[in-house]
Amino acid sequence: MLAYVIRRVLATIPVMAVVALFVFSLLYIAPGDPAAVIAGDQATPADVERIRQSLGLDRPFLVQFGDWVWNIAHANLGTSMFTGIPVTKMIAQRIEPTLSLMAVTLVFAISVAVPLGVVAAWRAGSLLDRAIMAFAVFGFSVPVFVVGYLLAYVFALELEWLPVQGYTPISEGLWPWFENLILPAIALGCVYIALIARITRAAMLEVLAQDYIRTARAKGLGQSGILFIHALKNASVPIVTVIGIGIALLIGGAVVTESVFVIPGLGRLTIDAILRRDYPVIQGVVVLFSFVYVLVNLLVDLVYTFLDPRIRY
Amino acid sequence: MKTVSRRTVLKAAAGGALAASTRLAAPALAQGAGRTLRFVPQANLANFDPIWTTQYVVRNASALVWDMLYGVDDKLTPQRQMVEAEEVSSDGLTWTFRLRPGLKWHDGEPVLAKDAVASLARWCVRDSMGQMIVAIQNELTAVDDRTFRWVLKKPYPKMLFALAKSATPSAFMMPERIAKTDPFKQITEYVGSGPMKFVQSDWVPGAKAAFEKFADYVPRQEPASWLAGGKVMLLDRVEWVIMPDPGTASAALQNGEVDWWENPISDLVPVLKANRNVAVDIADPLGNIGSFRMNHLYPPFNDVRARRAVLMAMSQEDYMRAIVGDDDKLWKPLPGYFTPGTSLYTEEGGEILKGPRNLDAAKRLVAESGYSGEPVSCIVAQDQPITKAQGDVTADLLKRMGFNVDFVATDWGTVGARRAIKTPPGQGGWHMFHTWHAGSDCINPAPQIQLRANGDKAWYGWPKSDAVEAEINNWFDAKNLDEEKAVIRRLNKAALDFVVYAPTGFFLGYQAWRKNVSGIVKGPLPFFWNVNKASA
Repeated sequence: MLAYVIRRVLATIPVMAVVALFVFSLLYIAPGDPAAVIAGDQATPADVERIRQSLGLDRPFLVQFGDWVWNIAHANLGTSMFTGIPVTKMIAQRIEPTLSLMAVTLVFAISVAVPLGVVAAWRAGSLLDRAIMAFAVFGFSVPVFVVGYLLAYVFALELEWLPVQGYTPISEGLWPWFENLILPAIALGCVYIALIARITRAAMLEVLAQDYIRTARAKGLGQSGILFIHALKNASVPIVTVIGIGIALLIGGAVVTESVFVIPGLGRLTIDAILRRDYPVIQGVVVLFSFVYVLVNLLVDLVYTFLDPRIRY
Repeated sequence: MKTVSRRTVLKAAAGGALAASTRLAAPALAQGAGRTLRFVPQANLANFDPIWTTQYVVRNASALVWDMLYGVDDKLTPQRQMVEAEEVSSDGLTWTFRLRPGLKWHDGEPVLAKDAVASLARWCVRDSMGQMIVAIQNELTAVDDRTFRWVLKKPYPKMLFALAKSATPSAFMMPERIAKTDPFKQITEYVGSGPMKFVQSDWVPGAKAAFEKFADYVPRQEPASWLAGGKVMLLDRVEWVIMPDPGTASAALQNGEVDWWENPISDLVPVLKANRNVAVDIADPLGNIGSFRMNHLYPPFNDVRARRAVLMAMSQEDYMRAIVGDDDKLWKPLPGYFTPGTSLYTEEGGEILKGPRNLDAAKRLVAESGYSGEPVSCIVAQDQPITKAQGDVTADLLKRMGFNVDFVATDWGTVGARRAIKTPPGQGGWHMFHTWHAGSDCINPAPQIQLRANGDKAWYGWPKSDAVEAEINNWFDAKNLDEEKAVIRRLNKAALDFVVYAPTGFFLGYQAWRKNVSGIVKGPLPFFWNVNKASA
């Protein structure tokens, strides 16, 4: 197992290298000029050119790429062209809100979706099952920002139960932290709930049709014991897989959710950096996201061995 | 009677329960919340060097932190600010400035003449008026701790306006060690002598910036008026909350989570006006001037007949309604290049933009120009509502005029890069792009780099007209207002005849704030001095 983990971790290096080259090349050929954005509308073309030179953007592609790779090899993601702040510091400033949003969303989504999927499978074909699946279709179909606006209107403006926007660090109190995350987590969680609930239902239907479930029923086991102890555990491998895949969904969804709810996380940092063509920040964040994604996949593979002892690496 | 919202009750209950069960109890309110004003600016404060960049949002924040030698008042007249007195020699060649006593930097050091000299030297490299002064400069030196002297080779009558103007880059004063930074590199230390200190540790670009009252600031005794007069800070702290989404900003203002929103979009203004806790008013009486520029280097717009055909056919009302909607108070036609309501405003030569639009005559003029159906690249930033609205109107106009339109929908970052490309439109260049200019930058020719027509050195589109350039130079030499007015009339006509660019109209924008906030004035930038906030 340890050898497998080491192999997988080492395998991330070429993956990250390809991602780095791809991201850098894409940004290089993409239209846009950070110097023009920095200079502003009142600047002359000559000023823009001087700023471009001072940022080193007039150097050849290979020189710029070589510099960047060299810096990354020394754990240096560079400095933002706009703020003059190191990219690692900017990421550090933004990582807590994004992690918080993702964690609360995950907990909320899993705790709602898995029971819904189990109940839907248990009552397959019933009105309840159809209602849950209709909700799943709704969750998939309605964009995050629409759900976000609706939630903010109802729960913040009309009922005045929760704030419209913002983020409070957890160090300033658990409730202020949690209060700001409730609406964003629900908005972002909808699509995730839909995805997990559907997969749970499908996996459970397959398991519930197996002989050992009939045996369990014949032994007189209670319904909840059959569903949640015997069936769910054996249906959990595809559920865990989809939760892992869903992390990518969460990252994408966080970009929109953070904008709607003014959460100063990595999603907003990415959007701001893209609009301004802040290359070092875009490159740093994309490499980080890629690393997280590779890591999550590794964790999912490792979790399989705990859920299904037959799986060995 | 003070009302208690449902949210407050719920917060108390939930907070109490959680506080009891965890060690992380919530503080009742943020520090100094009663004197903290939360402000939603027009854009993200992504950097903080008002000389390195000309972005308005940076200038607006800088006005809190860095003071100026002079500042324009609401009559657009330069007034002394850091300067106690100035003296100009009878030949107009030597300016001697004396700083006010007792001025301090935020680090406690005294403001010295050498700081002003270094700041002016840096500003001159980046500002068009500063460059003109340097071109005729003999020397700029500190005489003693509070006095510095600027010796010129020829008189420069617009000296005080140059030092006072709000157009970017404004002449902000910095300590010498900071001002010695290369003007094309951004500063990393934010020490000023203005009424507020920048809290660098609280700065999260894209999310938040914070400013705290500078206790040692000595305001002038005169009443505050825009960038002039006594900048008295009644607030302890100002927090800028960056909100890219207008819907969220609107909801946050209605909910009392923010206090002042700089630029609500017109679609949301009715909602804000309907809220009894929110006040809405015009933000800047000098407003904005919409525009699109044509590339003077390549056909069809290298021919003045094609450019004039566009002016002949365009309807400024169409452009303005696309930007501001149905609110007639927010726009007016603008047959010229100067801000309505200001002393130099003129409509001389503006007949081509007035009266019924003549599409047939415009088509004939296009044909005379020799246009042969080549694609016309119209690059339009979709992420800026003002440019998007104008671009849609222009695309329709050009099609009706018989142009073969290549509509390039893109973002502002791409427009910013592509407009600088001088190659032919088919090889990465362009024919047209849209933008807008702050009215405060169009009160005279000095800040209007977009009106320059000096060919390769001109703003994007690179117009070249000796007549226009001659009138701009005449304005700089004008000795009094009457002379200036005469020059501007000729300049407006020459620029419209040549079609340096196409003005699409004059429009205003709103600002909105909670009614417990007082002292907000209309102006070209948000002024925080004399603003106060009562408990909600």
